[in-house]
Amino acid sequence: MQHHNATLDRTFFALSDPTRRGILERLSGGSATIGELAARFGLTLNGVKKHVGVLEEVDLVTTTKVGRSRECQLGSAELADVTAWIESYRRTLEGRLERFGAYVEARTGGDG
Amino acid sequence: MTHELRFERLIDAEREVVFDSFTDPDGQTAFYGQDQTGWIVRSECDLRVGGVWTVEFGPSQAELYRHRHVFEVIDRPRRLLLTTTETRLDGSSFDTELEIVFQEQDDKTLMTMVTRGFPTAELRDEHRVGLPNAFDLLDQFVRARPQMSQAKSDDL
Repeated sequence: MQHHNATLDRTFFALSDPTRRGILERLSGGSATIGELAARFGLTLNGVKKHVGVLEEVDLVTTTKVGRSRECQLGSAELADVTAWIESYRRTLEGRLERFGAYVEARTGGDG
Repeated sequence: MTHELRFERLIDAEREVVFDSFTDPDGQTAFYGQDQTGWIVRSECDLRVGGVWTVEFGPSQAELYRHRHVFEVIDRPRRLLLTTTETRLDGSSFDTELEIVFQEQDDKTLMTMVTRGFPTAELRDEHRVGLPNAFDLLDQFVRARPQMSQAKSDDL
């Protein structure tokens, strides 16, 4: 059966915003400070902090204080849960289609 | 941006038969069925655009999942488009869009099922103007993951 949890919901939510996806994409190439992200995305420091906060909540991003700046990096989100959920969802749907196909063939005498 | 959960099955039956089976109670029960003893499927379908198809399914009365589909497009025998709200055991819900295309292939029917997932109803509505779906996003992120730098655990 499909596995759902609140973290998964929050992860979906975190990924639903194009700016946050842009931040993740940028961070997949290496760490960046809040200021660098603000400049890159044309946002205020507070705007970036807000987005980073959402990503941080689900561990998609971690931040570290380095001197006077805060450096952001990709985090250690529990993607095992997320990937397991997608895989389980995929298997469930695949199973439904297969059962339905077999049902129609059994009913019509198809060879399968 | 076009990655989705997509499945295909070549079914040895005419296209009209496959389409009609999918929209009749027995076919819908087969779709949600499982071999498990005692597996429950209850399906009620109002087959018209804007009509609702509700399905309750699960291993026991105490563990029933619920899908509420709304028919957005009914193009017999070619295509169906449904929006689905899936309600979990804890009462929370998850929205998806399900598109089913039936194509003739020799004397058989290629049934293609595409699911796009959305964390909220608002995002589902926005999707209509091009927002990538939740499965895309997760898939992209999971793929990007091997390139990630190691996270540090310093205090924030």
